[in-house]
Formats: sequence, structure tokens, C-alpha cells
Amino acid sequence: MAQAIVTPLTQALAEGKLTREELKSFMRRSDWPSLRRLAVWLALVAATTTIVTLAWNSWLIWPAMFVHGVVLVHHFSLQHECVHYAVFRTRWLNDVVGQICGLIIILPHRFFRYEHCDHHTYTQLNGEDPELIPMPKSIWEYLFYISAIPYWRAKFTELLRHASGRLSKVELSFIPTVEHETVYRDARAMLTVYVAIFAGMAIAGWWDLIWYWLIPLLLGEPVMRFVRMTEHVGRPTVSQLSENTRTNLVSKPWAFLCWNMNYHAEHHYVASVPFHALPELHEKLKDHIHVEEGGYFGAHRDILRQLFARKS
Amino acid sequence: MNMDRKRKWRDLVAVNALEEKWVTRVDFGTRKLAIYDTPTGIYASLALCSHGGADLCDGYFDGHLIECPLHQGAFDVRTGKPISAPASRPMKTYETRIKDGMVQIMA
Repeated sequence: MAQAIVTPLTQALAEGKLTREELKSFMRRSDWPSLRRLAVWLALVAATTTIVTLAWNSWLIWPAMFVHGVVLVHHFSLQHECVHYAVFRTRWLNDVVGQICGLIIILPHRFFRYEHCDHHTYTQLNGEDPELIPMPKSIWEYLFYISAIPYWRAKFTELLRHASGRLSKVELSFIPTVEHETVYRDARAMLTVYVAIFAGMAIAGWWDLIWYWLIPLLLGEPVMRFVRMTEHVGRPTVSQLSENTRTNLVSKPWAFLCWNMNYHAEHHYVASVPFHALPELHEKLKDHIHVEEGGYFGAHRDILRQLFARKS
Repeated sequence: MNMDRKRKWRDLVAVNALEEKWVTRVDFGTRKLAIYDTPTGIYASLALCSHGGADLCDGYFDGHLIECPLHQGAFDVRTGKPISAPASRPMKTYETRIKDGMVQIMA
């Protein structure tokens, strides 16, 4: 008889960490609360855009672009939620919002969905998890990763590879054959949009979008790399979710920015649970997961402690 | 399984044992089935996702949509048609009816 594969969720239910009624309650989705949250999000983007405008003719534009960039790169968190179809009950709204987020941060949505599915299947397993960020071997490797240089290099290479109709060996393992053309088409469409934007700016002689979008994106991405490292880096490269993933307790503003994705172990336990229910799920699972009380900075202290312990 | 066995209506589970407006897991011989209580009636399918093999009965259910708990691929429970990646193959569905308070499937 075919048996269901064992997932963290099936284990949690079998071990009584979570009841079926609780699971159903946590998974409940709705459009309006998420649309309201999205409205607040857009107001935040408008506010940081305004800050850049107000700082336009002074050196303050650089810190202003950094702050704006930190908000822009957190479109990744919203896109990630959309990848799991957990933001809106209306399924196509997740696709539309996810695609827009992807355009802002240069990450094709459907490709990310396939890659991320494999990340959930093979979380933190060397050679199998396509999103695994290796534990740095030196402080220079650590700083280089946070600079986001390797990230952008990998992402632009990936985008150009897909636009030219090619997939890497790893990508071939997680994208079904019937979807190869979709991935190529998405990459070409994304590049076409960017070319059209630049052509439009050239025709209009208005280049301000570079200061409102691209430079802030480059300035903000190291913060996103800093955040992404806290999820798994430094945790054991084993399949047990109780070990391989870190939940970080962060301040409310940061939890807002990352759409509660700091509750990362809870998210891996039940990826169908929307962002707004993750704090409640945390209360149920907190004794069964690895929790970093010191938040993102605590996680980096842990990573650096391990890094220096290896060297000594 | 005996492939020569004649197809007929077979009792599966009492209607009042189903989870209301949700999906219920039922063992049927050697098979695990998912029974869906939808706005337009009861539907049934194999319980394991055709993509990664996770148990659909632990997934999110809404109307006629069942979503895999592992990757959030989704299917229309009326037809078994995949409606969200990474699910790309249909899931096996069964014809159902209600008789004498029992959900029956043609199998």
C-alpha cells in the first residue's frame, strides 16, 4: 500500500503537538485582513519613497535610500507568503501580488515557487536543498555573503540562463518538463519589462527610478541576506525540523516587515498557515523547535560563535 | 489488489462521520482515500498527493479546492485536475453517491 510521506506536520499531529481542529483553525484564510495589511504595507512604501524625495538634494539621500531599500527588499517576504498561497483566500490574488513583488526584487515568481518547494522537501540537506546557504568558513566569507554580491551574481546568471532557454542540472531536478517553457517565458517577460522601463526612462529623459528603485534595492539587499542567514545557517544539516531551522523572536516592526517569517520553524512545520496565524502557532510549537530569543542579532552571534570556534 | 474484481457501489463511511465542509481521511482496503464535503456534494479521491506523496487530508480545503500540505499544489476535487504548481498530474477521483446515510464510491 502506498504510504504518505512523513512530513513535520504529520509528525506534529501524530505526536499530539497540534490537534486537527487547531490545524484547521490556523489554516483559515481570508482576503480582507490581508488586503488591509497590504494597504498599510503600500503606505509604508509610499512613506519611504517620500523620505527619498525629501532628501533628494542632500547627502541624506543615501541613508534615505537605504531605509527605502530595506522596505523594498522585504517584498521578498510578501512574495514568499504568496508562493505558499497563504496571503489571500482568493488564489489568483497570491499569483498577481507575488508576480509584482518578483518584478520589484528581480525574482521570477513561478521559478521561485518551484525552487522553494524543493527547499521545503529537503530543508538544510547538503546537495539537495537548492536554497541552502552554506555555513561560512571564515569571517570574509561571512561578510562577502552579507554584501549580497554572490546573491546578485547568482540571480542575474539564473535569469539570463532561463531567458536563453537553459536550466542548470539542479533546476532540472525540481522543475517538471512541462513547465520548462513557462520558466523561460517568465524570465524573458521579466527582462522585457525591465528593458521597456529603461527605454521609457531614456525616451522621457527621467532617470529617477534608478534612485527610487535600483540603488535602494542594492543598498537594502545586504539586510535581506542578513535576515535570510538567520533561518537555517549554523543549524545542523539534518532532516529533523526541530534541529535544522531557527525561529527568531524579533521586534514587532521587524516582524511586520518580514510578514512574520521570523517564525520560520513554525512556517516549515505547517507551510499552509498564513503569516497572521504564525504567532499563535508558535505558542503551540515553541517547546518542540529551536527558538532564538535574541532575534536576528542573536542568530548572528550564534553563527559567528560557531565560525570562530571552528577556527580555534 | 484483484484487478478482475467487478466495479460496484461500496460503502465507505457514514455521512454524519464526515468533517463538515472539510476533508476526511478514510481507509478503504489497502487504499487511503480523502472524502470532501463540498457545497455541491461529496467527492472522493486518493488521499496522497500525485506530486510529492503527502497526505492531502492534512491540507487546506476550501470549497472544491484541496491543497497539499507540503508544497501547496492544489487540485479540483470534482475532477482531480491540478490547478496549482507543483502539482501537474491529475489525482485519482472516484464516483460517489449517498445511500442510506452512507457515502458510497464506485470501485
